[in-house]
Amino acid sequence: MAGSGRVQLRDSEDVLLRVEDLVVEFPVGRKRVVHAVSSVSFDVIEGETLGIVGESGCGKSTVARSIIRLNPIDGGRVLYEGDDLAELEGGALRRIRPHLQMIFQDPISSLNPRRKVRDVICEGLAVWGDDHAVWTRSRIGELMEAVGVDPRFGDRRPHQFSGGQCQRIGIARALALDPKVLICDEPVSALDVSVQAQILNLLQDMKQRYGLTVLFISHDLSVVKNVSDRIVVMYLGKVCEIGAADELYESPVHPYTRALLASIPEPAATVDVAEGDIAGELPSPVNPPSGCRFHTRCPHATEICRQVEPTMARVGGGDHFAACHHPVLGPDPTR
Amino acid sequence: MKAKAKVTDGVSARRLGFGFWLAAGWVLFITLAALLAPLLPLTDPTDVGVGGPRLSPSGDWLFGTDALGRDVFSRTIHGARVSLAVGGFAIGFGMIFGGGLGMLAGFFRGRVDHVIGFAFFVLLSFPALVLAILITATLERSLLVVSFTLGILAIAPVGRLARAATLVYAEREFVAAARVLGARSGRIMVRELLPNVAIPMGALTLLGMAVTVVAEGALAFLGLSVAGDEAISWGKMIVDGSGVRDLQQSPHVAMFPIATMFSTVLALNFVGDRIREYFDVRELAF
Amino acid sequence: MKTIETPRSLLEVRDLQVRFPTSRGTVHALDKVSFDLRPGQALGIVGESGSGKSVTARTLMNLLPRTAQVSGEVLYEGKDVRALAAAGAKHFWGVEMTMVFQDPMTSLNPVKKVGEQIAETLRYHLGRGRRDAWAEATELLGQVGIPEPAQRVTQYPHELSGGLRQRVVIAMALACRPRLLIADEPTTAVDVTVQKHLLDLLDRLRAEREMAMILITHDLGVAKGRTDDVAVMYGGRIVELADTVSLFSDMRHPYTEALMRSIPRIDDPSHHRLDPIPGRPPGLMEPPQRCTFAARCRYARPDCLEAVPELGGMVGLHRFSCNHPVGTERGRAALATNRAAGINATGLPMTETIEEVG
Repeated sequence: MAGSGRVQLRDSEDVLLRVEDLVVEFPVGRKRVVHAVSSVSFDVIEGETLGIVGESGCGKSTVARSIIRLNPIDGGRVLYEGDDLAELEGGALRRIRPHLQMIFQDPISSLNPRRKVRDVICEGLAVWGDDHAVWTRSRIGELMEAVGVDPRFGDRRPHQFSGGQCQRIGIARALALDPKVLICDEPVSALDVSVQAQILNLLQDMKQRYGLTVLFISHDLSVVKNVSDRIVVMYLGKVCEIGAADELYESPVHPYTRALLASIPEPAATVDVAEGDIAGELPSPVNPPSGCRFHTRCPHATEICRQVEPTMARVGGGDHFAACHHPVLGPDPTR
Repeated sequence: MKAKAKVTDGVSARRLGFGFWLAAGWVLFITLAALLAPLLPLTDPTDVGVGGPRLSPSGDWLFGTDALGRDVFSRTIHGARVSLAVGGFAIGFGMIFGGGLGMLAGFFRGRVDHVIGFAFFVLLSFPALVLAILITATLERSLLVVSFTLGILAIAPVGRLARAATLVYAEREFVAAARVLGARSGRIMVRELLPNVAIPMGALTLLGMAVTVVAEGALAFLGLSVAGDEAISWGKMIVDGSGVRDLQQSPHVAMFPIATMFSTVLALNFVGDRIREYFDVRELAF
Repeated sequence: MKTIETPRSLLEVRDLQVRFPTSRGTVHALDKVSFDLRPGQALGIVGESGSGKSVTARTLMNLLPRTAQVSGEVLYEGKDVRALAAAGAKHFWGVEMTMVFQDPMTSLNPVKKVGEQIAETLRYHLGRGRRDAWAEATELLGQVGIPEPAQRVTQYPHELSGGLRQRVVIAMALACRPRLLIADEPTTAVDVTVQKHLLDLLDRLRAEREMAMILITHDLGVAKGRTDDVAVMYGGRIVELADTVSLFSDMRHPYTEALMRSIPRIDDPSHHRLDPIPGRPPGLMEPPQRCTFAARCRYARPDCLEAVPELGGMVGLHRFSCNHPVGTERGRAALATNRAAGINATGLPMTETIEEVG
């Protein structure tokens, strides 16, 4: 897998966010580093929802947190409206922040237990002043209604709400600054099954209503497919495959994507269940495999995969790219 | 179990309990008595020979009189002034400096943490008594200097607690959320972290005060408490009353300040502990 | 309900009720839970948090806190399990009946080698010698698909990945050849590829050892592929109990139906509008005596508010507790009446996709 390369980047004027060769490394002592994200490139067109899917340790959350600079970036560019977010510091970085907001995984942890929920939602306005954006303190009730939280409960504290309600409050907090880009990091994984759909629908509604561009990170393949226009599949800090959501799930070519689709409890019809039996353990990101990072577990791996890192290449004629020396093409896999 | 959200209606159902109110009432009573001591109809606590020497407690002399014939009751009330003032000042000093430094260390981590952590380390390693003797011996033994001495000793323990509490909350996603909204570090520390760190710290203030009240007593034994006959403290009273002869002939002279100090320290501990429990907002429950 | 002694049952649970008194009132964690388990059978218990699925497991395993008030009957091969607990039986839990938790670190001691931990179980319960126990531990690690077991047996839990740790826990649970394994969300904390491996492993071991399993999960998909029967729990009760095939093809309880409709599916096209369940799961604090799902149910009629519907039907058949079951005449009639009125019996609007407000 291990895809570097930038052919998947689109040459459109509508590209709002463009990540080029992003590298993030975390030191873990004794001069060793975790290669969390290694040369990842993708772009997001205005109004689009881009899903990033992969298992734990693939770097999907790190990508999200790096874009909004919650992590230091060690290489590459994050272009947003002509600015390189990776380069911004201090006041300039702060001024761009309202444009890119985030929804967090744990709705409880992401709300300050000692503040009233109205104050939580208004925090962005308090930082930037009432005249900053579309929303004002006096109109915050409308926003609360829009996300499905009764404004009469504004004086309550987060622990008096359910997890689903807390996530709605988190969404209102992000929307209060009228952002262009909304980054959702596993926004429904901590919620009960029956509440997940409410939040997913709400995000969809909010996206349409407020013209948002969404970056949606999840480990759940079905959820990602449901919300996304375009999907990035990541493994061990690298991009495996990128494509339009339906196309990618209809004809996945990367062995890792296929393994994922075959592993879920009700496997996708397009893959063979046996393809889910990938061998071995996830290699350490401190010392990732040479060549294609997936070669240690890939059923199709050959010598070239051990030596040469594959680059992203177009698959078929459409919006579909993969980084693999032996992509599984055609209606039926070779085996 | 996944960390899942549940509605809790926690606060209303938790109660502080009778013991808390009893203890809080005692602390309040002592504090008021200390504040209002000059206005109360008490004999002058420094007046020698108002009664006979070493009179046992009676209707006239509630707590009896000491070796110099001074009114122990009046002295105990006045003694609260110095004891509580030293405790309050010292812990306030420790809170402001220790708490501030601890929060800075916990929030910024890295080099700031290393430097502050080392400073705490030095403070903790330095023999407390030697430091106290050093300071009180060099400077005058005024109320402020004694408070300041004990305050310096409070910095490291208070700071460590503040740092630990800050570390816990700084990891929480609401801090990341505030950062994403564009809040500056200062705002995050004041608005997001302080309210959360303040609760354990507040409880510690009371516990710390209890410790300081006792520490003042210890300094008094070394003759290092606030100087002068005017400055009466429980510690000094206990010292005055603990000569072998005193303890044999008039144990009440030492016992009354000891009992008062003991019950006050106990009450402070109890109140502090209950407050911490009470404000420990439960975020997960049935 | 009568307790029928059938020799085929490994486990019979009858009218199990668990309550937790708290300072704020009584939590009704389980109510009238009854089910049977045959030797070798896999029963899935599906539900959300607070549905009672984990409390069921903990009750069976005798792991409830002392304050819990338990009533009802649990028979294991005809023996009263709760009496065993009272008598302080040492070699029942961990031998006949064992459990695997969601977080493997719950069952593993971080400062002991994994081999030692398995060997200890063998020595305590089965009285094995030191050397035999160690050899058997190594063998068990091999059986649960851990590569290089001879080497792994000397490692500490922190040296293993999450998937391997869970395998060690499974090996430990299986050490004494239990006849019933209770797996409480065994794969919730791991990735999908690891989940598949673990579930495949449990399937294989179950077949090899003719072991019965209770698989507790919030994931309908997991239950669908890995069980013979499924019990759907909601608000501390079993609301539907059937063999897995009929449950998924022919569900009767509106909650089961709503749950299945609210989940995004891999084969649905992207941006497929989801059909959420309105409202939120019920509280368990002193619940009113009515159908717990009524407030969120499109089929709810006034009779649903009068009493809690019983889990009807015969043991062994498709059972459900609903007055207006999905796919029946009564169900269709209730839906039609509610649609015409625009609201259900609790005043819930009947819009197709209802959002929770307030």
